[in-house]
Amino acid sequence: MSKKFITPVGDEGIYTLDTGSWRTFKPVMLKEKCTNCGLCMIFCPVGSITGDENKIYEIGYQYCKGCGICARECPTKAIIMVRESIE
Amino acid sequence: MNTNQNRIVAISGNKSAAMGAALSRPDLIAAYPITPQSSVVESLAQMIAQGDLNSTMIQVESEHSAMSVVQGAAVAGGRTFTATSAQGLALMYEPYFRMSTLRLPMVMAIATREMTSPETVWSGQQDAVSVRDAGWIQVYVENNQEILDMIIQGYKIAEHPDVLLPVNVCYDGFYLSHLTERVEIPHQPAVDDFLGVYHADHVSLDPDTPMAVDPLTSGEILWRYRKGHLDAMQKALQVIEQTDDAFEQVFGRRYGGVIDTYKMDDADFVIVTMGATTGTAREAVDVARSLGMKIGLLKVRFLRPFPDKKIREILSGKQGFVVIDKNVCFGWNTGVLYMEIKAAISELGHPISSMPAIGGLGGADISVDQLVTCIQVLVKQGSQQPGQLDTYWFQ
Amino acid sequence: MNYIDLIRQSEDLVTAGMSACQGCGAELCLRRVLQVAGRNTILSIPPGCMAGAGVVGWNFDNGLKIPVHIPLLDNTASFLSGVTNMYQRKNRPDVNIIAFAGDGATADCGFQSLSGAAERGEKLLYICYDNEGYMNTGFQRSSTSSKGSRTSTTPVGKVQDGKSQNQKYMPLIMAMHNVEYVATASPSNMKDMVDKVTKGIQASKKGFAYIHIFSPCPTGWGHETDQTIEVARKAVKSNFFPLFEVEQGKWKLLDNKNPIPVSDLLNLLRKFSHLSPDDIAQIQELVDKRMDLLRKLSAA
Repeated sequence: MSKKFITPVGDEGIYTLDTGSWRTFKPVMLKEKCTNCGLCMIFCPVGSITGDENKIYEIGYQYCKGCGICARECPTKAIIMVRESIE
Repeated sequence: MNTNQNRIVAISGNKSAAMGAALSRPDLIAAYPITPQSSVVESLAQMIAQGDLNSTMIQVESEHSAMSVVQGAAVAGGRTFTATSAQGLALMYEPYFRMSTLRLPMVMAIATREMTSPETVWSGQQDAVSVRDAGWIQVYVENNQEILDMIIQGYKIAEHPDVLLPVNVCYDGFYLSHLTERVEIPHQPAVDDFLGVYHADHVSLDPDTPMAVDPLTSGEILWRYRKGHLDAMQKALQVIEQTDDAFEQVFGRRYGGVIDTYKMDDADFVIVTMGATTGTAREAVDVARSLGMKIGLLKVRFLRPFPDKKIREILSGKQGFVVIDKNVCFGWNTGVLYMEIKAAISELGHPISSMPAIGGLGGADISVDQLVTCIQVLVKQGSQQPGQLDTYWFQ
Repeated sequence: MNYIDLIRQSEDLVTAGMSACQGCGAELCLRRVLQVAGRNTILSIPPGCMAGAGVVGWNFDNGLKIPVHIPLLDNTASFLSGVTNMYQRKNRPDVNIIAFAGDGATADCGFQSLSGAAERGEKLLYICYDNEGYMNTGFQRSSTSSKGSRTSTTPVGKVQDGKSQNQKYMPLIMAMHNVEYVATASPSNMKDMVDKVTKGIQASKKGFAYIHIFSPCPTGWGHETDQTIEVARKAVKSNFFPLFEVEQGKWKLLDNKNPIPVSDLLNLLRKFSHLSPDDIAQIQELVDKRMDLLRKLSAA
């Protein structure tokens, strides 16, 4: 489809930035407190929280920017923000 | 093709433009009124209202949106048409530039007009020449038949895979837009055959082939798009000639491709025109010859791409030329076409005298007599000295 | 389907990593909107935060999994008018034609083309994510910046206290265009937003639909990145950003019987930190008056 250098079109792949490296705090889910309500997924701006068919939710760290919305909005305080460390 | 089936009518230039557009069967037409173009889109609206034309017409709220609507339709694969003049063209400059740099073919008629200020609605070419470097192909025509024929040829050129650029068909406001002339209307099936169906396969907005149209593009890459655009302009010079030939075979009329000439073979001096002044200049050449001056006419049809090589060939060996500009080139004390020609002959290899002439601004007439007087000045001064003569103003 | 299940099961059509700021309200809304819209969608995102964040693509790559175009700042609605008319002409009315534009592209220089497209009843859904300013170019004021806002072009100095003019209230202006559907939405009320986007897409098959989204901007407004939803929630609960919809002329307003004071919202935002109690009282009055007007309109 793409005829390079005629019309500028982007159809070769998906442009993706390493936004996970921005993080200074990371959200950690305390499973014992989690009720799997899904609000963290609903409010995650990055799409880093996903739920499986059993409605079990999980945080992915590859692109999570560490904004902390999930921790603040969790009704059972099942997510805490932990400082990132260089290991 | 039996051209006997063609209808012969007496119509205005605007009507001719509308009929040329209708014969090209655009998917979508954007309409917004401006003097002296308004009756183009009125005619098309009438054809659609009568069921004679199956195009989608969008009555927009500005020329900026007119160009934007056709841009959206073109990215979605449609053949599109619109028309404008002067301030309308200026308002649409932003999407206008983008139409060509997205390499979206279309045809837009420009009933050319002087630019404000002073406040004016009358003829001139300042509007169209001022956007000559926005990447569009621009053809300037002489009469109403040429308007219709070049709108049809325009789609053929624009949609050619080696070109893929939008085309302006520019015709003098009022002098052609409102003048009634004899025009042959080609047979619809012949036009359908000539143009074929447009398929955009270089860009599309379609969920079946998801892509980003015009992603952010870095400078290391951007120049390649510009180079490709320039290359396409050069290839268009050839495509224009081929299209003129093909058009003649079907419709029996040809225009000479990128340029046309009149009584040039034995001419010592040349009058250069662009647009409707050409018709007057043909008369002036006859008169000047009857007075003993060996004059020829060069009609520049395409300002973009500029046919520099052809013009160089034509002017080679001549003693001098005058360029009649219905526009000015701010900063050069000449008209635009003069500067273009001057650039083209810079490698001519022999001295030649040249005279910039400016007239017809804001709808002022340029008569045969005035042109003959101008030619006399050229011959007198040009016989005495080579190089650039003083700018001649039609007063 | 329950909105949480719908979001969980819907594919995220936006690139996994884009350069929107931490806690960006617009990034959140863009992802949710496209999860509702699905793959059979054509999107236009004019210059602004979302375009600048790379979702309109970079060099030869796309930033989305669906077709997207970055129109000019001022022609999103007219560009999409051309697109949607071609799709109606090609007999493909199923394709969703959606704009996702900031407030500058909507209420300022894009206003004319938006108004024109709405008046013509073009079959498309226009979504404005309103972060009350030109945030992508560095927090300059727009016509939707609230009165009192400190922006980079309405700074707070010895003789000037932020933006002195009232906000242009786009949702009502669009409702007065008599289009198929107009709604306001907030990311804090996500079920409501999902419902409204669903309705907006359905309405766009019949005519013009417009949704105005309140989009908190931690970087420009000066709040913590984790407060985005809280800011949006307080905007709704204080009637600073009323939630309503107009469906074919039928009004529906979410009326807070006991709204929180607007100062509860303003105190969260550093862009309002210079306001005096008098200034805040004035803003409260504006908010109350607007709510009264909306009540009258929705009761009529």
